[in-house]
Amino acid sequence: MEKNKLNLILAIIVILVGIGSSVYVQATKIDSKHIIVNGKDYTIDQLFDISEEKTYETYSGIALDNLIVKTGVEDPEIHEFIIIGADGYQKTVKWENMSNGLLTKDGESIFSDLPKAFIVKDIVEIKVD
Amino acid sequence: MEKRKLFAGILVFGSLWGFSECIIGSMLRNAGLPAGAIMTGVFAFGLMVISRMFYKTGGMQFGMGLVAGALRLFNPFGGCHICSAIAIMAEGVIFEILWYKLSPDFEESDALLNKSSMGIVMSYCIYIVGYVVTQILTPVFSSADFHIENLIAFIPQILASGLLAAVIGGIMAPTIFLLNIIDITKVRNRLYYPATIGVSALCWWIVIANT
Repeated sequence: MEKNKLNLILAIIVILVGIGSSVYVQATKIDSKHIIVNGKDYTIDQLFDISEEKTYETYSGIALDNLIVKTGVEDPEIHEFIIIGADGYQKTVKWENMSNGLLTKDGESIFSDLPKAFIVKDIVEIKVD
Repeated sequence: MEKRKLFAGILVFGSLWGFSECIIGSMLRNAGLPAGAIMTGVFAFGLMVISRMFYKTGGMQFGMGLVAGALRLFNPFGGCHICSAIAIMAEGVIFEILWYKLSPDFEESDALLNKSSMGIVMSYCIYIVGYVVTQILTPVFSSADFHIENLIAFIPQILASGLLAAVIGGIMAPTIFLLNIIDITKVRNRLYYPATIGVSALCWWIVIANT
């Protein structure tokens, strides 16, 4: 196939994939004010009531390790934790990372020992693996 | 093309790319704009196409990626410096591959559509490759390890966010091709070398001064 025709076909495919993905992302976006921790549903205020406050640089919130303990997860050090955002962005972290992490009032995860790519916004679930 | 002249070109265009990633990228992010797509469509893709038009030499854009990636290592902003640096280098590689496969036939009468199509495809692919490489490398270089399921779950979001890069690339490509009339080999050496080395040094100085 000649290059010019190939370019046009590929460009149409790219545009369709981009539009299709955008529609899919919007359709599957979770709009929730609750956070599921280890299968149980909490509001952000409930989590702030039961967990210890913590600050890191300009961020303040509740300690993620304390949150996990207070929500009844047993032997947390043997687990991994999948933090999932409303837009589908998710990151898997270890207990040592959770010990250096906090959850802000806006539902964001901040880790002092991990890069900014581990900031998950609008958290809707923390799975215990 | 004189080798020395080509290396100076790689240095200046790579430095401009690295400078834009470090300084302009941070400004866009702070302003809450879609920095990744704008950086790819306007700066990464734009500079690589401009340099390819000027120098008409294969492999140059990979060299630019190496220079830009090296400069990115000095950037104080962002999380994983090495990951971003490698992602930039990967963008240079994917440009080389795609250009070889997709660069349009300029003799065709409907060249504008072809150039725009090429811009859409190349800018989108460069964006996706850069994004995926960063998503893989960031956990690898951190204490959290890479988990493939995290990347798979986020693929639709990556594909969706690349649409803006594709649109920008579709506009940038035909615009940049208008510069095809400039012949770098005709630029006098006494003007070329001070200009390229001066601009490169300025880019590096600004980035390093910001660390």
